[in-house]
Amino acid sequence: MPESTHVLESLPAYVLGCLDEAEDQLVSQHLAGCHLCRTELGSFQAVTDQLALAVPEAEPPAELKQRLMERVQGLQPVRPQPVRGRFSLAGMQRFLPLGGLASLLVILVLIVATVSLWQRVNQLEVLTAPQGMRAIALHSSDLTPDASGFVVISADGQNGVLIVDQMPTLDTESTYQLWLTRNGQSISGALFSVDETGYRGVRIVAPESLLLYSSIRITIEPVGGSPSPTGEQILGGSLFNS
Amino acid sequence: MRLIAQAQMDAFGELYDRYKRLVFSVAYAIVGDRAIAEEVTLDVFMRVWQRAQTYRPERAKVSTWLVAITRHQAIDIVRWRKSHPEADSLGWDEISLHERPAHHDPREQVELSQERERIHKALAQLPANQREALALAYFRGYSQVQIAEALQEPLGTIKTRIRTALQKLRQMLQED
Repeated sequence: MPESTHVLESLPAYVLGCLDEAEDQLVSQHLAGCHLCRTELGSFQAVTDQLALAVPEAEPPAELKQRLMERVQGLQPVRPQPVRGRFSLAGMQRFLPLGGLASLLVILVLIVATVSLWQRVNQLEVLTAPQGMRAIALHSSDLTPDASGFVVISADGQNGVLIVDQMPTLDTESTYQLWLTRNGQSISGALFSVDETGYRGVRIVAPESLLLYSSIRITIEPVGGSPSPTGEQILGGSLFNS
Repeated sequence: MRLIAQAQMDAFGELYDRYKRLVFSVAYAIVGDRAIAEEVTLDVFMRVWQRAQTYRPERAKVSTWLVAITRHQAIDIVRWRKSHPEADSLGWDEISLHERPAHHDPREQVELSQERERIHKALAQLPANQREALALAYFRGYSQVQIAEALQEPLGTIKTRIRTALQKLRQMLQED
């Protein structure tokens, strides 16, 4: 690969997570197939890891462990969590100023709506909104029973987003690849990795309207992707009920 | 982590004891409020409890994994609370780069202490404007565009500062 196409100059900002979304995706896609840039990335990652040591050491209160143990008592590890919050709202309530209560109510309504949407999507597999938008739940395979995901497609099929959760993180030689199938032919719609908790949202790129494809699946492929699916299916589903 | 994925509470407790200071310190440095840092710490360890099976030792050290989760959780809260500027997170310049952290277990902390000293020394050698840009990215989760807006500098200047800062740090830390 020519030097000019590498993403070396973007790697410091990439490891800090401060690239804009479009550039971040470009770098991610390049890294999936470039050993040189991945090696360079590793050296910058080591630096950002050490930045955590530069913060002043603070001691949490002794009773925090007891609170943690009480909270996890009722939680089972490796249990699928269809709806993923970025942080605990329950714990935030006591810090809310009065002016923030309205915002909290809005957030709670959105969470309830999202849970409801997820449940309906899971039941129906394909949920069509009045405006024509579709949300499709994907099925996990026996390999990764905890993985979950869904696809949201715009009314005209020109835009689509995949969101996955609880996916295993892969080694540096592998990548997830999304496949769209039509008349028995599969084309690649995205290459992606997941964050440390197995979560990722990624835009689906297809040459034609997503409404023309009959099914979707996600497999594990060698870095850089494959021309056609070769790995085990992790998630999959029919794009339409018919 | 394997034992935690098997719901072994004892292993989970040991993990907490070992990394509680690291997680709490990073959370506190980002959110700037002890009570909220406690909530972040609880959230981080609850996520670890529920998602221990997603940890891959070949990809990252446990501490790296925990710090990554902590930063995400804490920065999310900072973004959510950005209308409340009274709760500011720290920056490199608010941190005394020559501060000596309190040691709780000298034998276990010697290596950590040396690591801290190395990174403190390296950060202290960066120009203030590079530390500032780095701090906004690391502690606030700002994008380069947001950093440029916050500092009223051209985007290209900020990109150069971020890139140069990390390159210098890498060089200094590798030389040590």
